[in-house]
Amino acid sequence: MEQREYGFLMFKEKFMVRHRGFKTAESLLTAARDLAPKHIYYSTAYYQQPTASMEEKGWLGADLVFDIDADHLETPCKTDHDTWKCKACNTTGKGTTPKLCPKCKNDRLDSETWLCEKCLSQAKEETFKLLGILYADFGINPDDIGIFFSGHRGYHVHVYSEGFRFLRDEERREIADYVLGQQVDFQLQGLAETKTRGVTVIEGPQLGEPGWRGRIVSGVYDLLHENGKTGLSDSLKAWDNKRVLEGGSFWSSAKGVGLSTWKDLAVKAVENGSARIDSVVTTDIHRLIRLPGTLNGNTGLLAMQVSERGLEDFDPFTDSIAFEGKLRIHVTEAPSLRIKDSVMGPFNNETVEIPEAAALILLCKHRAEPVGQRKS
Amino acid sequence: MLTRADLAKYPFLNEATDYVKSLGLSIEDIRPEEYGPVLDRAEKRLEEALSKGRITANIADENTEILSFPVSNLILSLTGEERAKRRYALAEAKRAYELLKQESPDKLELIASSAFQWKLRRTNMQFGRRLYDFSIGLTDYLRNAIHLKEPRWKLSNRVLDHGFVLATRDEIARLLEEEVRSKVLDRASRPTASVNVPPFLGQRIEHVRNLTVKYLGTPVHYELPRVPVPEAMPPCVRNLISLLDSGKNVQHMGRFTLAAFLVNIGAEQEEIIRVFKPASDFSERMTRYQVEHIAGQRGGRTKYTCPMCTTLKTHGVCYKPDEICATIRNPLSYYKTQARTLTRGKKTVN
Repeated sequence: MEQREYGFLMFKEKFMVRHRGFKTAESLLTAARDLAPKHIYYSTAYYQQPTASMEEKGWLGADLVFDIDADHLETPCKTDHDTWKCKACNTTGKGTTPKLCPKCKNDRLDSETWLCEKCLSQAKEETFKLLGILYADFGINPDDIGIFFSGHRGYHVHVYSEGFRFLRDEERREIADYVLGQQVDFQLQGLAETKTRGVTVIEGPQLGEPGWRGRIVSGVYDLLHENGKTGLSDSLKAWDNKRVLEGGSFWSSAKGVGLSTWKDLAVKAVENGSARIDSVVTTDIHRLIRLPGTLNGNTGLLAMQVSERGLEDFDPFTDSIAFEGKLRIHVTEAPSLRIKDSVMGPFNNETVEIPEAAALILLCKHRAEPVGQRKS
Repeated sequence: MLTRADLAKYPFLNEATDYVKSLGLSIEDIRPEEYGPVLDRAEKRLEEALSKGRITANIADENTEILSFPVSNLILSLTGEERAKRRYALAEAKRAYELLKQESPDKLELIASSAFQWKLRRTNMQFGRRLYDFSIGLTDYLRNAIHLKEPRWKLSNRVLDHGFVLATRDEIARLLEEEVRSKVLDRASRPTASVNVPPFLGQRIEHVRNLTVKYLGTPVHYELPRVPVPEAMPPCVRNLISLLDSGKNVQHMGRFTLAAFLVNIGAEQEEIIRVFKPASDFSERMTRYQVEHIAGQRGGRTKYTCPMCTTLKTHGVCYKPDEICATIRNPLSYYKTQARTLTRGKKTVN
């Protein structure tokens, strides 16, 4: 604990109070009480002197951290609940915030995101894929991993193994790219066309092989079995595993299907098999990341550890609630939301009395004002 | 066990260093009368490295080969030629690779795991048409493979199984080459203990110094980077360029300011990297990375702006502010103002 740097983002001031260090949990708690910040962060890195300036901290290593956030997922519901606005020309749009304003090319854009159940369950799905890769490919011991709900739109996975602690940013980039399936070269993964005695044979990785090789094959299998089999050619729609079971090569098991078709399927297989992490977080060896056990100022929900066993059934809208009771607020506009078993909204310019947890989400998201304390 | 023949092949190994130590020789003892071949070979190693970038791998005499390596290192550090160190380390590494790729799997394993503490396992696995003799621990793999840019070294393209990367014999030799390069460079960059340089070394040091100039060129003199209006650069930025040029250390804030300034006035990336080249700790890859980062092509994708003058004053980067400085708050404004004045002037002249 004493080797970590802590940072606080305040409600009023727009800067981060950082380079703070604490020797005991009590002193950290006292500071949190005194400052009453919006967000509390701690460093993934360990330092000799966490409170010194960046150059003088003395980097001693950092946990390997993965961030899965709905911001980086392409969920179809985003166009329903996320909006953005260009700070320069006031152009607005729906869905994922673009890097540059399409109209004036300005790069300063405000985004309004929503805490959506579908996005969160997609993020959970990505977390499971990530864990699968970390265990099977990277050989990480489940005991060395911490899984956390961020309190907002995603999950964090922290790897504490000493074996990964001293990796520098370039090495972590390789790990991030691997998890994302970036630059996977199918020829290097063994997918190729060869001619034996005038017969063209397609060779490729086999089911059950380690790493991306096996994942590519199982991914393609999944695509062939998928309901609807959308976008598949007739011969692939008719595909069954009879020939494979008879001992034929998987990649030659569909009549008239050439290398380029298999490659297209392999691209999709990699896309589906990869875990959509935010590689910037993994690569940054001086990162400050949300401190588990604290409230996320974007929602009022608790950022908390989730056991791997509990992850499947983890429900952010039930399990990470920090406030009980009811609160009266005036909501300007908001989609519907659920707390435990009760669904409320959508809201449109109305005063309501709703569970405090829901009210806090709306207040934190600037969709509502407290009633009774309005400025005169 | 490593034999003496092995130490002659791989004189950078700790075992070789221990062997030399066990002989109880000091540099004064390596007199030309008795150790002429050692001194010749030591000089030859450097000459070959500088001229061809490769050091011959055939071994005439084992002891000469083992002893010449530390002498080469000593001569190199006494020349004080920073630029020569990288080239030498690379040449030694390439020499080692030539020898390593002919070794048996047992010997490779011995060198990798005992000398470099790699986590290395023997395997016998075939995937597709490729036969893998080894699997190497992920961190050992990454440390070395990140320097290799061909797609086949990209982790995404490797077979990674429970923390181990499968590799062929030749690939292990190639990864070891990288390890050797770092080790030799590390050793060459270590400060030399104060030794009395025996007179018989003087001439050889001078010779290597001349060779460095001959093959690596004279260090370039302070030259303004090719930017739209070089004359419009503020005194702080000029000072940073001249400090770097004279091989002096420039702190992080200074380097950041310089790179951010140049990025923002539209200097070419190559041009920016050239400015940093004379720095003693120059690493092209690191510099490129940093510059790309500052230019917003990497990481957080933010294009950074140049720090404000007040910040630069705090960090001691501000240098001899002139009358234009008094009117601006950021070095970039200095450049803008001056560039406008200067180009306007030109138009009148033309």
